[in-house]
Amino acid sequence: MKKLLEISLGIVTSVGGFLEIGSISTAAQAGADFGFQLIWAILLGGLCIIFLVEQAGRLAAVSGHTLTSAIRERFGFNYFFILFIVLNLVTLLVLGAELGGVCVALELSSGIGFQWWAVPVALLVWLLIWKGTFGFIEKGVSILGLVTLSFIVGAFMMKPNWHSVIGGAVPSLPAHDKSHYWFVAVSILGASISPYLFFFYSAGAIEDHWTEDYIGVNRVIASTGMSFGSLISVAVLVLGALVFPPRGLHADHYSQLALLLQDALGHWGFILFVLSLGIACLGAALEITLEVAYFAAQGFGWNWSENQPPKKEARFSLTYTVVILLGALIVLTGIDPLKITIMSMALTAATLPLSIVPFLILMNDRNYLEEYTNGWLSNGVVILIILIAFVLAVVSIPLQILGGG
Amino acid sequence: MDLVRDCLDKQVVDRHGHKMGRVDGIVIEVGDGRQPNVLAIEVGSACQASRLHSRLVKMVKSISKWCGVVNHDPFRLPWSKIVCAEIEVIAGVEAEKTPALAWELWLRKNVIARFPLT
Repeated sequence: MKKLLEISLGIVTSVGGFLEIGSISTAAQAGADFGFQLIWAILLGGLCIIFLVEQAGRLAAVSGHTLTSAIRERFGFNYFFILFIVLNLVTLLVLGAELGGVCVALELSSGIGFQWWAVPVALLVWLLIWKGTFGFIEKGVSILGLVTLSFIVGAFMMKPNWHSVIGGAVPSLPAHDKSHYWFVAVSILGASISPYLFFFYSAGAIEDHWTEDYIGVNRVIASTGMSFGSLISVAVLVLGALVFPPRGLHADHYSQLALLLQDALGHWGFILFVLSLGIACLGAALEITLEVAYFAAQGFGWNWSENQPPKKEARFSLTYTVVILLGALIVLTGIDPLKITIMSMALTAATLPLSIVPFLILMNDRNYLEEYTNGWLSNGVVILIILIAFVLAVVSIPLQILGGG
Repeated sequence: MDLVRDCLDKQVVDRHGHKMGRVDGIVIEVGDGRQPNVLAIEVGSACQASRLHSRLVKMVKSISKWCGVVNHDPFRLPWSKIVCAEIEVIAGVEAEKTPALAWELWLRKNVIARFPLT
């Protein structure tokens, strides 16, 4: 019964915490510019993240190591340090985008420019982490994030041609703007296969004291939660495909995103969009901030736990404080949060190999996984993800230049 | 024991389970005609810097000296006080009484304690 409750709560957390500004904006842009044609990219990204998150959770449950900790031990300090710098520079940009997303939600509801909200939002994030516990951060905000299910309701109410929607699950070449098509596809994959997701997940497994008994729980949470989460992204894409083209819009400014639910749900649609954007981005900002602090603390061997008072882990607490400050500075520059989002998603894609290659070695190491090492299916998928990651790394920057505008 | 696999880069905890860093280096004595002898493990930013590039060590030590925080960087823990367990390396010391936590304690006292709502 306890396990069932944990599974339910885990799925709710994964679903509620799945959507963030990256998945919303890339899916909306894909729908606006290419109809249902890029649904396959969301499904492919969803499949990849299911396998990576499941493996990160399994590693933590069996070995008692977070992914960061295992990377430091198995690959040494230099690899860890390079990953620390590269991953966290990109993650900082993603944090700026998420904080910007909360600020945009506040601008849409108040009319006050988003930059003005940067400091209050940063303070709120800091306060929630400073005073909150891991359970509060992980479950509390994610449960509120269930409001993002309104995108699925909206998509159904718009009565799309389901035959065409299902057709979008099969990859196809675009009739126009090929470089832009591939750029959006890469951005969707970058938003879906976010390294912060699996690093945070493995830290969470240790915070929640997972053991080998949780392997089944982990598998169900990772597969069901991430699948439902991906469906919400598909719903955003469907809405984008139905809402923007008739208006001649390309979802290239954040104010346009507010239209996503209006045709389906009227004024309530606007309210639900603002709530969805604000809560989803707040949840993501909290997770990203913690992930950077976890990464540093676990890699350098400091005290870390969101469940301890800040005084007991000064370096960990100071790290997330500085991270929030830097994220807020990005918002204060006044650059359109949507532009930061699209750029950070492409950069995430460019750096993916560094964080994904270790999976193949770690998940086959019996010193860590004992009899729970990867089977042929998991290894096959990881190899596929690594190939995708290398392709993304090579093409993302050129595509950003060619098709990012 | 395979020193690199079973010891290097592992989490170091004190006798109460408090984290005090990672095994950033291993000190080995090599004498004429004798078996190499493991003397100590090293913990600290100077040792980490040396693994990246030798020139960084001086810079890291200067920063530590300038801040007046760390006196013994890297901090050496005698091998006799070490037990390599499955997940962690357990040191038979009190973490807070060693230089390994000098930065942690300095930040706790001079920075974190001054934050509101602490």
